Amino acid sequence: MRKLIEFRNIVKTFDGQVVLKGVNLNIYENEFVTLLGPSGCGKTTLLRILGGFLEQDEGTVIFDGQCIDKVPPYRREINTVFQRYALFPHLNVYENIAFGLRIKKTGEDIIRQKVSRMLSLVNLEGYEKRKVTKLSGGQQQRVAIARALVNEPNVLLLDEPLGALDLKLRKEMQRELKRIQQEVGITFIYVTHDQEEALTMSDKIVVMNAGEIKQIGTPLEIYNEPVNAYVARFIGESNIVDGIMKEDYKVRFDDKNYECVDFGFRPDEPVDVLIRPEDIAIVSPGKGVMRGEVKSAIFKGVHYELMVETKTGVTKTVEMHVVTQHDKENQQAGEKISANDFFVDAEDLTEKEMTDADFVRIANAQAWDADNRDISLTKVTHNIENKPGVYEITFSTEKGTAVTVKVNVVSPEYVEDARHNIGISALDFFITAEEIQESMAISTDLKTWASAEAWNLQDDTSVEITDVKFDFDPATVTEGTYKITFATQGREYKVETTACHEVGDRVGLSFGPEDIHVMHKEVADA
Amino acid sequence: MKSFFRMSYPYILWIGFFIVAPMFMILLYAVTKGGNNTLTFHFTLENFGRFFSDPDFMRVLWTSLRIAFITTVVCILIGYPAALFIANLSERKQTMMILLMTLPMWINMLLKTYAWRGILMNFDDLSSEIKVFIGMVYDFLPYMIIQIHTAIAKLDRELLTASYDLGANKWQSFLKVTLPLSVPGIISGVTLVFLPAVSSFVIPKLLGGGNYVLIGTLIENYFLVAGDWNFGSAISLIMALIIIAAMYVTRKIDRGAEE
Repeated sequence: MRKLIEFRNIVKTFDGQVVLKGVNLNIYENEFVTLLGPSGCGKTTLLRILGGFLEQDEGTVIFDGQCIDKVPPYRREINTVFQRYALFPHLNVYENIAFGLRIKKTGEDIIRQKVSRMLSLVNLEGYEKRKVTKLSGGQQQRVAIARALVNEPNVLLLDEPLGALDLKLRKEMQRELKRIQQEVGITFIYVTHDQEEALTMSDKIVVMNAGEIKQIGTPLEIYNEPVNAYVARFIGESNIVDGIMKEDYKVRFDDKNYECVDFGFRPDEPVDVLIRPEDIAIVSPGKGVMRGEVKSAIFKGVHYELMVETKTGVTKTVEMHVVTQHDKENQQAGEKISANDFFVDAEDLTEKEMTDADFVRIANAQAWDADNRDISLTKVTHNIENKPGVYEITFSTEKGTAVTVKVNVVSPEYVEDARHNIGISALDFFITAEEIQESMAISTDLKTWASAEAWNLQDDTSVEITDVKFDFDPATVTEGTYKITFATQGREYKVETTACHEVGDRVGLSFGPEDIHVMHKEVADA
Repeated sequence: MKSFFRMSYPYILWIGFFIVAPMFMILLYAVTKGGNNTLTFHFTLENFGRFFSDPDFMRVLWTSLRIAFITTVVCILIGYPAALFIANLSERKQTMMILLMTLPMWINMLLKTYAWRGILMNFDDLSSEIKVFIGMVYDFLPYMIIQIHTAIAKLDRELLTASYDLGANKWQSFLKVTLPLSVPGIISGVTLVFLPAVSSFVIPKLLGGGNYVLIGTLIENYFLVAGDWNFGSAISLIMALIIIAAMYVTRKIDRGAEE
């Protein structure tokens, strides 16, 4: 194949922001090349530079062996299908397609021939006289393609041409575009952020991010051998875990050594390990290389998408005391008041500078009058000290209605998991059955009542508590003591399988050396 | 719904008193002759016959149409490049330029025309007609520029990019994309310039000198000087019909451009 286009170190800046950071790319004859990346990655900018609508700050574009940096767009043998089609609203379908030919002063009979050939190529025979503004999105798209192709360019640029179409039409047009490209046999450069579109149509995919090319390859190469976690995540579904390359063909992750087919890494190099969800097979719990519990199962049409937890996260169990609350009544004032005993972390007392309002909230203290109207608690007195022990706190209203409850100040008891670098803490608590029954989101409320928190031991950032386990029915809970376990995210694998599995099933996971793909850690950009 | 309709009563009254009734009276005056009283009307088409059979009146009508037509053409020729230039400026500069363009419109037309009279007095060798042209173009040009500018400014820039992409250079792109798509702007500009130009009487009177008579001056004379309301009404009616015909034709052209 002959090299048709060469981008040499293209740099482009908009308002001081670098959009392209020195892009080098070769494109050959008759290729269907896709520039793939998220919005703002520079793919459209690169296309516009090739079309001549933007000028690069640095670098050179070579077209067919000649530098075209100074060639205006109307003299480049390149045509474009624009994102929003940009059809001429004052011309009908025929005249839109004939536009380029008329500029070249082509004879009328030749124009008629070529336009009708184009109309049949894009399946729009009989639409010559239609107004383009009256066409559907898919039809406008076809006119735009015909209008570009009729000029017989060497290269057709397509800037997210299917973005505005619905899913079914998009799939149809994908096949259509591929067919047209094969029929006319010219280079298509296609810009999209849709990975599926890229995989379906391309001969070659160029994955871009933040103004740089991350990987160039065939769809199969990009999918099976992504160079780093970014590319792997962008294309298809993926499980990516941290690992260590022990030696060639041996990688360690999740505390186990696995054989793999990758080599050429430094000994003990930290790596990203990719296992595609469809490469993992579900087997019976004793078998396979891992075991776990099904956390969720989503039906996706052809297959189920399971999340299998192979390792639980860091956990902390606390006791919940369900109590009956005794309202205290002040007959004279016609008021009632109530509050719960509570636990508080000695460290929180000082670090979070807990105020009376905090105590009112934690104790769930409230007062109300005969008409059930809330009355504000104007006075809070307590003898709480900053060391573990049992203290008393009294809440009272303006009229002297008061209630006294116990405060258990405890020293911090948190669980640290050095291997995961995660700490988790939660406190025992008192609560009434009524409050549990009234809860709209029990897991979230349990976290609040127990002051459950998890954090990263290294940088002290907050870590989400993803799992709250309890063994009572919130609707029928009675007085007593219950255990509640809070846990952070464990190791989960996404698995695609055609067999149905229930949430909670114990299963084994099986995959072989060829299903494991080891990638270098991405170097973080400065 | 009923109460909603009731809200339109003041407007219906307004329209009735100040638009329909005067029009009807013009019509009535035009088809009757002098000596009317409240009880008897002398219906006649004499007024129209008098207008169309007198070569002097026909000449005045012709001059008025010619002057309005040329004024409109000159406004397009000056206004289009100006509008195109403004539309290619940055947004902030565009607002500024449009403001500058419209600024003279805030000043009373009589005042501006007097100012022109003062200026043109120093140029004795200019013919009356040229002076009227200058005054008219000066007064009506902003309407043309604003209409065309609006049409060009709302054009999708991507259409020009597409045109370059298809091999058209800047000039070809202008002829094949920008110009045809700004025709609706030109049409509304024409409406806003031709109609007032054809019936203007202040400008020809003040700039053309006493012996330069256009149709507007003629109507004014018959109403205010000669006191022949019947003939004045007939001329007004003829003008109105010509204007309606002109509007109908421009509408047609506008539709044609859209197809």
